[in-house]
Amino acid sequence: MKLSVTKEKLLEGLQQVQNVVSTRTTLPILSNVLLQAKGNEVHLTTTDLDVGVRGSFEASVEKEGATTLPARRLFTIIRELPSSEVQIEVDGKNAASIRSGQSFFKILGLPEEEFPPLPKFENAKVITIRQKDLRDGLRKTSYAISTDETRYVLNGLLFSLKENKLTLVATDGRRLAMVDIELEFPRSHEADIIVPTKAVTELQRLLTDDGEVKVSVGSGQIAFDLNNTLLVSKLIEGNYPNYRQVIPSETKERVTLERETFLNSLRRVSLLASDKSNSIKLNFTKNNIDITANTPEVGEAKESLAVVYKGREFSIAFNPEFFMAPLRALTEDEVFLDLIDEMSPGVLKIQTPFLYVLMPMRISS
Amino acid sequence: MEENYAQLWQKLSAALKPQVSPDTFKRWFSAVKLVHATDDAFTFRVPNNIYQFWIESNHMAALQAAIVSAFGSPREVKFSSASEGPAKPGDEVLSEIPEKEFNRENSRDAKQSSTALGLNPRNSFESFVVGPNNEIAHAASLAVAQSPARTYNPLFIYGGVGLGKTHLMQSIGQYVGMKKKNAKVMYLSSELFINEFIDAIQHNNLVKFRKRYRQADLLLIDDIQFLGGKERSQEEFFHTFNTLFDGHKQIVLSSDRPPSEIANLEHRLVSRFEWGLTAELQPPDVETRMAILRKKAHTLGIKLRDETFDFLATRIRTNVRRLEGALMRVASFASLSGKELTNEVVEHLLKDILQEEARHAVTIEQIQRRVAEHYDVRLADMTSKRRPANIAFPRQIAMYLARELTKASLNEIGDAFGGRDHGTVLHACKLVKRRMQEQDNIRQTISFIDSALQR
Repeated sequence: MKLSVTKEKLLEGLQQVQNVVSTRTTLPILSNVLLQAKGNEVHLTTTDLDVGVRGSFEASVEKEGATTLPARRLFTIIRELPSSEVQIEVDGKNAASIRSGQSFFKILGLPEEEFPPLPKFENAKVITIRQKDLRDGLRKTSYAISTDETRYVLNGLLFSLKENKLTLVATDGRRLAMVDIELEFPRSHEADIIVPTKAVTELQRLLTDDGEVKVSVGSGQIAFDLNNTLLVSKLIEGNYPNYRQVIPSETKERVTLERETFLNSLRRVSLLASDKSNSIKLNFTKNNIDITANTPEVGEAKESLAVVYKGREFSIAFNPEFFMAPLRALTEDEVFLDLIDEMSPGVLKIQTPFLYVLMPMRISS
Repeated sequence: MEENYAQLWQKLSAALKPQVSPDTFKRWFSAVKLVHATDDAFTFRVPNNIYQFWIESNHMAALQAAIVSAFGSPREVKFSSASEGPAKPGDEVLSEIPEKEFNRENSRDAKQSSTALGLNPRNSFESFVVGPNNEIAHAASLAVAQSPARTYNPLFIYGGVGLGKTHLMQSIGQYVGMKKKNAKVMYLSSELFINEFIDAIQHNNLVKFRKRYRQADLLLIDDIQFLGGKERSQEEFFHTFNTLFDGHKQIVLSSDRPPSEIANLEHRLVSRFEWGLTAELQPPDVETRMAILRKKAHTLGIKLRDETFDFLATRIRTNVRRLEGALMRVASFASLSGKELTNEVVEHLLKDILQEEARHAVTIEQIQRRVAEHYDVRLADMTSKRRPANIAFPRQIAMYLARELTKASLNEIGDAFGGRDHGTVLHACKLVKRRMQEQDNIRQTISFIDSALQR
């Protein structure tokens, strides 16, 4: 295998795939990236057996062939190269010589045959989504995915395909984020699948604002085809909990908030929320919210926000981090906060189909 | 059984309702069923796992508080969800972890057999917190439990009230009982031994009595000091001891003082008790107390703030049992009232225990005050540079008492007495000791002040 390529194209290609490579692995081959040179393209593949990514870059290939090289090492070398022209030549023993300007590197790889192939998707159900829609949906929900490994079904994002709607749901037991995306697909494609966190994170990095993504759902696995890049992942087996149970059926009070103003206030006040109790209190009075936080033996913070509010006067406490996460992820100027009472969950909404349920914390009297 | 659980659940629901909002109760708890209940744990059946996740994350405090108010003590809460696999009705779920289930079966077996022996299953090596105060006793007990009659025989554990003697003995008993199913473990207090002996004499069936005890593979006798003064019981025990010892059976004894200090115990028994290993249990230091509190809180599912742990560990020094009692009191107060636990609240809550504690800790200042009062000198004279005999001698007595009754070093004592040198303190101690030997009245005076201080 012999090829020459510009440093930028090679770097871009590696950046797309290298995150999947796991840092500590029992199988050495999994820390390698598979390079396959053919025609005027080089395909790059990485996998940790759960998630795999396949990308490519343009190059002038002098001699076709394939090999695997240590992904992290290759990336750091390429990044530091002095010239923008890079030549890579791999001998029969998978040793790669990298030349660029006055630099010369030789790194040892492993044979192509050892690299586990990405799963095949035959008879898979295929649906097409606009990249922008999916990217938006992931951004609005993925922060709420649970990291508690004992609840493995929550360690991923639910893709629920039903009645021409794709519903994305994430919850960790204290909060729940949900987005609906209108989508056309045949009834036979209806399914509930759980995509693991790592795949969601990678997908978010790969999605752009243009074009479409082709989603293939096979048995126990899923593939996202973004024209030049392919991401495949195992699905989390099990039943996602019945999240509708969490959503309050009717709420009593509604307050409209300017997202950025409110977020900034929360961020400032939360500076004095103690690490342990970690709660901030919202005090609702007529046309006003007082946001307060205090930590015994440290101090307290308070901010008043003028809002349109004509409901009952009451106080409710939330975890500030859980409240700020959706506010950061949203882009809308205005958000609506629906409440029932100080012991019932609050619901954050916007004009489009999005919902965030947040459990209050107990107010210590 | 089913009806029983339904009743328990009704009682619990009634306690739970005021803790949560009506909507929450209707949404999350109306579909919950109690399917299994023991003294330690409740298993609730929920329609699907979202109930478990949501209740665990958000309503656990309320549920625990309701359990405490309805049943007086906390339980471990488990969930089983109806949608998880084909669970048979009434059977406990957790089948996803068969190993765990297996262990539980085992421990249930162990529980049955150990309760029959009078062993409390909570007193196991796992639940014993090891610190520098008890590591020798713990290590020795573990060694004995792992290979009975091979290492230290007899093992004699002694230490003050509530420091874990019984806990260690029962741990040994359970460990051996669990490892060797056929081993005959006997655990009893010396009082029971004496009673049975008297009974045997009365009904003239000493043979049966002897057979019963001399067939044990492991004999654990708690509070052996009560054997003091009971001559015939001692003789009987002496023979039991010899039979077991010669048959290579393990004997473990506990007492509140070392063998040589047990009053009216025959010499041959004392020397036999000292034959194997004598291990002392001392009051735990502050770190160990902290560890005990955290472990206990963890097993009971109690969550408290670090300051509260700190407060308890530093203020309650003498006794582990008292420490655990204080923890329970604080935890149930917290879950029942829902109030924030500031140190003031805790202090108020535990004022009787703390008073009791404070009484035992004698400070140098108290000693100075007391001695000054007794000899009718000014308190200031204790620290002044003046040294006429009528001031110097009381001051020396106070130094001696400070040395005996507090843990202060010679330097600290010197500082407390107006910045005196440690040599001065040492001299005072020696002098007072000598004069106590020489003069009865001085010894009496000092022991009088001593006992007044200790009260």
